[in-house]
Amino acid sequence: MSALVSLRGAAVGYHGLALLSGVELEVAEGDFLALVGPNGGGKTTLMRTLLGALPLVAGRLEHPRPLRIGYVPQRDHVDTIWPLTAEEVALMGRFPALGPGRRSGAADREAVRGALERVGVAHLSGRRYGELSGGQRQRTLIARALAADPELLALDEPTNGMDPAAELATMDVLRTLHGGGRRAIVMASHRIEAVANSARSIAFVDKDRALFRIGSRDEMVREDALSELYGRPVVVLRDENGRRSVYPAEREAQP
Amino acid sequence: MSEAIRGFMGAREIWQVPLAASVVAGLLLGLLGVFVVLRRTVFVSAALTQISTAGLVATLLVEERVHIETEHAWEQLAVAMTCSVVGALVLGPFRSRRLPTEAGVGASWVIGSALVVLGASRLVHAAHDLGGLVFGNAVAVPASDLWVIVAVALLGVAALGVFAKELLFCSFDPETAQALGMPVRLWDALLFLVIGLAIPASARALGALPTFAFLTLPAAAALLLRLRLRTAFSVAAAIGVVAAGGGYVISWIAEIPTGATMVAVAALFLLPGAVIRGGR
Repeated sequence: MSALVSLRGAAVGYHGLALLSGVELEVAEGDFLALVGPNGGGKTTLMRTLLGALPLVAGRLEHPRPLRIGYVPQRDHVDTIWPLTAEEVALMGRFPALGPGRRSGAADREAVRGALERVGVAHLSGRRYGELSGGQRQRTLIARALAADPELLALDEPTNGMDPAAELATMDVLRTLHGGGRRAIVMASHRIEAVANSARSIAFVDKDRALFRIGSRDEMVREDALSELYGRPVVVLRDENGRRSVYPAEREAQP
Repeated sequence: MSEAIRGFMGAREIWQVPLAASVVAGLLLGLLGVFVVLRRTVFVSAALTQISTAGLVATLLVEERVHIETEHAWEQLAVAMTCSVVGALVLGPFRSRRLPTEAGVGASWVIGSALVVLGASRLVHAAHDLGGLVFGNAVAVPASDLWVIVAVALLGVAALGVFAKELLFCSFDPETAQALGMPVRLWDALLFLVIGLAIPASARALGALPTFAFLTLPAAAALLLRLRLRTAFSVAAAIGVVAAGGGYVISWIAEIPTGATMVAVAALFLLPGAVIRGGR
């Protein structure tokens, strides 16, 4: 698989100040990469740098050709006061490709309808975005990203603040979208449980401990690796279907 | 009352330019107000009206104290527009990692207000004009001011119409717009450039306080009705036109202050949305 985008010897941060250094990262066609770490650990900064939305402090950002990107921000970052319908929000995904001053047309609306259907919220297209539930808003934002037919879909904490059922439903949507392997997914999450059974590769990111470590899911969802990430003992259990569950272990009592 | 109306109609020569200027300003501010309210930058517009007025007071002071000729309306307007546009381009996209956004906006408002008060206290000859500048004196608007407002309104409506989707996306979700490669700062700058031009141009006809009010009340009234966004723009513009025009006529006939009457009429439009929806 050829690389869609990669960071080489990268330092990422703001205003020339590196939060995280020595980042070597490659996203190939069909990848599902999860960036996992604590809140405020630099996951979003790393992801936005990878997308080219933030300048590198050092190193190189490489992409062999122009890339169609879909981006799903944290749900809470999108203001619900705007009187926009789910369809109008999703249509914004088509705007960058249209170019300045050009209006959306029938093909754009058709693409939006298809995207809303794929994530199961087509029946809500006329509802106000601000009146949707958290899960429905998340799906609308994913539909907006899909409306651009992206080769790389980047999601920032898509399951944040969701109950377990909504989190599982959202991850099901992402697995389905990734199923064909044509589209690469990069997802930031502070919850390893959300991605332990979906991602193909996982990067641990924590700027406060200068930690950046990347590997396959099998390499990263292990008790020793996760214990290093969380700084405490962690138990990884697998059920009969091979699905992983991650639990914090009790610390041994000090004598 | 009928005599007052006859008197008003008979004085068309006097009011037709100020009324036209007020109506155009009401339309422009009503439209822009939807962005101002939804972007939660209402107090940016308040700060800009003060900064713009401070610029105007500065030109009057220069005229009186330094004896540099600035009496011409174009020079006063140019200074006010420069102050307002610079303020808009700085305050509009103002983000600080060390201070909440409100702190920067509040500081600008209070500094602008203090400069107006201090400057006004040193004015001698032009002091009597200051009430009109702040609270509105739409009775005497020269034709040149009308053309300035019309030009700024055409620019503003064209910018909002042609680049609607860019301004909308970058206002609604700047994080995603930037991630997808859109030049968010550029589109923000365009929007705040138009707002920065609209405030001093409108303040010449309406006054600073009504200008701030028209950037807030028509949009708030339209949004309270829970309309679709496109409809909210149209309704806010219509409320701006009706409140400015209606307020002008009522103030003339009732012989009450023009700017305050316009604001009061605009405020009435809040009632339907507030009553029907219980303000939710």
